[in-house]
Amino acid sequence: MVFCMKPSLAIDFMGIKLKNPVLTASGTFGYGYELADLIPLNKLGAIVTKTITLEPKSGNLQPRIAEVSSGLLNTIGLQNIGAKAFIKEPLENLSKVGVPIIVSVAGSCVKEYVQTVEILSAQDIISAIELNLSCPNLKKKIVCHDLPLTDEVIKSVKKVSKVPVIAKLSPLVTDIAELALCVQKAGANGVTLANTYPAMAIDVKTFKYKLSTVRGGVSGACVKPMSVRCVYDAYQNIDIPIVGCGGIETGEDVLEFMLAGARVVSVGSASLVSPTRLIGIMSEMEEILNERKIKDIKEVVGMLNTIKNAC
Amino acid sequence: MCLKRFDVTCQIISNKEICTNYFELKIKAGSIAKYCLPGQFFMIGVPGVFLRRPISVYDSKKSVLSFLYKVVGKGTVILSKMCSGQLQILGPLGKGYDLEICKDLNYVVVAGGTGIASLHFLATKLGKNKPYKKKGTLYYGARSKKDLLCLDKFKEIGWKVLVSTEDGSKGYEGYITDILEKKVKDSDVLFACGPMPMLKKVVQIAKEKKVKGFASLEEKMACGVGNCQGCAVNINGAIKMTCKDGPVFKIEEVNL
Repeated sequence: MVFCMKPSLAIDFMGIKLKNPVLTASGTFGYGYELADLIPLNKLGAIVTKTITLEPKSGNLQPRIAEVSSGLLNTIGLQNIGAKAFIKEPLENLSKVGVPIIVSVAGSCVKEYVQTVEILSAQDIISAIELNLSCPNLKKKIVCHDLPLTDEVIKSVKKVSKVPVIAKLSPLVTDIAELALCVQKAGANGVTLANTYPAMAIDVKTFKYKLSTVRGGVSGACVKPMSVRCVYDAYQNIDIPIVGCGGIETGEDVLEFMLAGARVVSVGSASLVSPTRLIGIMSEMEEILNERKIKDIKEVVGMLNTIKNAC
Repeated sequence: MCLKRFDVTCQIISNKEICTNYFELKIKAGSIAKYCLPGQFFMIGVPGVFLRRPISVYDSKKSVLSFLYKVVGKGTVILSKMCSGQLQILGPLGKGYDLEICKDLNYVVVAGGTGIASLHFLATKLGKNKPYKKKGTLYYGARSKKDLLCLDKFKEIGWKVLVSTEDGSKGYEGYITDILEKKVKDSDVLFACGPMPMLKKVVQIAKEKKVKGFASLEEKMACGVGNCQGCAVNINGAIKMTCKDGPVFKIEEVNL
């Protein structure tokens, strides 16, 4: 009889103990509890909620989404009920799920980020905050395109946050490794690489833009190689853990991100298409680890990425 | 009935072209079939395209689910070529038509194009169940005679059928809403599903004539369960999701 040990998927992330490295991606899993009838939420590594802002936001006009080859273009506009409403019913529902909850936060200025994090990080059930730094600020500029502003947001948030803070970065920067180092220096406890890629599409049948805001962000399988590269480059430059994100659909994709240096991953577009993918991914990861005779997922993190720059 | 959703793989029974460019897909859905309500839909996975396609339930009998769709783009072209094998489906999703309201009342359904699909499912439910004593009337508009689907099925269950075509190849020449406008005062409840220009007119007529009813809306959507927030619609001044809060909404609350 062949005795096959189930490989361990448990992993420590910024001091939070996760059952496995599979997280939901912000903006693709609602407030986090709505699909409890479709998938066993307690099997997830952690839940990352949609982005919460200080005040409610009604989002952008239609059309908000468009399909592209192997991906999805969106311009939702951070529609959400606002921090004060979020800590009531949604948070109460999330408290029953039994996995770490990470709340995504955005603001149009430093003060808004700080006030939102103050409200949210005071809630016992929230394990970490993920700062969405890819949203436009008051000057319609992406926050993480403005280094002094990014630095100020992270430093100010860190002063008030009672939980670890992750910086989610836009991949559209000249040097992602340099930006990752900047957010580490500012005090971020982790970094998510990456957000959607700025993109647009035109309908040639109608001669109209496919999104109401013309430009949006593209996600899905088509962005995966670009996000893996972001993780690989950033890993060489930083010590804080990386959340790999971009086009993950299978256990194989998760391993690819982890071999490049991601400690955990978040799955977005694939779970929009099929929520059960989030669970299927885990058994696929176990199969790969078994084949490679790897007993613990932690061994895989950055396994191929041996170059370390001085941090 | 309790609401239940499934994210599963099902076997294709058949996928036949019932008239040019219109297909009826039948799948073996086991117990899922009994949870479907008229107006609900499924997200159907099509190999080769990224997103699943939202398609309304056309019929649900025992363990067989049927969908009626028109070939309009890449996804439906691929789907129309699948005669066997398996499909991934997520559903039943959304809120359907309120049938309870029809008891003892005169009801009409207004269909445009493939909007007939969900209204056919509604008609089969209203036709069979005892509380709905009266027979309904179908107002059905299409581009031409060849785009009119399943008229025989409505006649079989004893419904009155009024038809219009834009080219005059069958029935009244023009839009179905022209006929509806003149006759709707005899009805108490109205159900509508079809293209946006038709729905706009139906909503306007229903509001003017003070006929209550329901309209099934359509928007581009990625997930079908409310998570992507792509299918936002203004309902009574609030932002709602077509997939989750609808697709069927009360006509008095809709602003198209």
